[in-house]
Amino acid sequence: MRRLSSSSLPKGLRLLAKLAFLAAAASLSAQQAPESPSAISREVKDVFERCSKAIVKIEATDQHGELSGTGFFVDPTGTLYTAYSVGGEAENIEVEFKGKKYPARQLLADLRSGIALLKVDLASPALPIGSSDQLEIATPVVAIGYPLDLAETPSFGMIAGFDRKCFGGYFPTRHLRVNLPPQRGEGGAPLLNFKGEVVGILLYTFENNSCYALPIEAAEKIRNNYMRFGEARHGWIGANVTEATTAVEGSRAVTKDVVKDTPAAESGMKPGDVVLQIGRTKVHEPEDILDASFFLTAGDVVPITVMRGNEKLTFNVQADYHPLAQPRAPLLAAPPLSNRAIPLNLQSAPERTP
Amino acid sequence: MDEFNDNEIGKLLRLKRYEQPPPGYFENFLHEFHRRQRDELLRLPLWRICFDRTRDFVLSFNLSTLTSYPAAVTAVLVCAAVISLRIYQTPPPASVAVKDRPVLVAPASTESEWTLASPVATRVFNTRSLRNIKESAQTHRSGTPRYVLDSVPVSYETTFKF
Repeated sequence: MRRLSSSSLPKGLRLLAKLAFLAAAASLSAQQAPESPSAISREVKDVFERCSKAIVKIEATDQHGELSGTGFFVDPTGTLYTAYSVGGEAENIEVEFKGKKYPARQLLADLRSGIALLKVDLASPALPIGSSDQLEIATPVVAIGYPLDLAETPSFGMIAGFDRKCFGGYFPTRHLRVNLPPQRGEGGAPLLNFKGEVVGILLYTFENNSCYALPIEAAEKIRNNYMRFGEARHGWIGANVTEATTAVEGSRAVTKDVVKDTPAAESGMKPGDVVLQIGRTKVHEPEDILDASFFLTAGDVVPITVMRGNEKLTFNVQADYHPLAQPRAPLLAAPPLSNRAIPLNLQSAPERTP
Repeated sequence: MDEFNDNEIGKLLRLKRYEQPPPGYFENFLHEFHRRQRDELLRLPLWRICFDRTRDFVLSFNLSTLTSYPAAVTAVLVCAAVISLRIYQTPPPASVAVKDRPVLVAPASTESEWTLASPVATRVFNTRSLRNIKESAQTHRSGTPRYVLDSVPVSYETTFKF
């Protein structure tokens, strides 16, 4: 019997076999070896170099005296996000950008979400908006802020959890718990993924090496409200929910009571209805109501699906103002965003030639 | 109370009927109280805090009995001696201030200023002097600002209402 040796194979086939072996070995080593510290360092440095231009130091005065925090631009016309504690109740706001100080004015301050929108009259770089829905536990993130009186500083950490409750109370919506060491002065700093996109806004410190960030979707809801109405319009239906003993259709959120003369009462919702879905938010636990409630906008019509006995019902409810909001004039149906007129200076428009 | 009639009080109560303290308010009350107390204390300038502490310390003694002691007389004599010595040993107002002046007006970001020798003292000195010049010239701000990063949320949700 002829012995099959490597020398008996054709030369081209041997070369191919060697290449395949090398490729397999390389892919195996890439899968097994964790990312080296230097690779992570490069990623953080890359994010820092790309994003730090759009991150600014904010100085202002409030009733307690002078304060200093962080903010970041989100559009090229100088609109920036910061924490409510930085720009929410402050005056004489100044933004330090490229070594110069510019006066800033407050567009909106929202106590419920804990953020403020400021505006500086200059052409600015802007950070791209990411998605916090794509974050998972242990996803690496970077925060860039201005701690104390120091220059912009990156901090590296990872997502540690998604919490709705902490400090003995409920957040208005799910918050990102991040294991990175925040320092004083970094309130309002952006939380970035490795693509350099904003996924959250740093708001609260939690113990020593952890902090909470508002998901960027929640902040964008507030900014979207501002663009549509010039204010934050938190919506309210008028139903209170509690936990049911048994789940119905996967939901344990049962309507405890419906407040009189509210959109919920007028739409036909009743106590005992098990809430399955509010808008696009599926409800499984009573805590899911927090997320759904936060994203309601007063004046918008939202479909609410409930289970009443064996019957699945859907109510289209126009949300009213949140009861904790300031009293306002009665709501009119809000026009959709696409129908809003964009102010243009026609005199400055270039003439068109046919 | 004359300015409120029953209708206005009723209207105010209706307006406030949804307001409740957030969950955990009473549990966190003592912590929050201490935090605000500290914040309030830090609003005062340092010299004022030192002055208050010194005044409280001195007033805690019974001054009338203290002055009767020979120790008080001795203390006064020692103080007088120290002050007189300092007056005699004070160097003439020569060019020291003039020599120091260029250091004070040097730009803050100059890296060559930072030396390995006594880094803390160098930093404090330069930062303080430059801050004063910069503030008076550009920002009109004074004192150290409060560097913001909250430890508790600015608001809580009440319950599962929507």
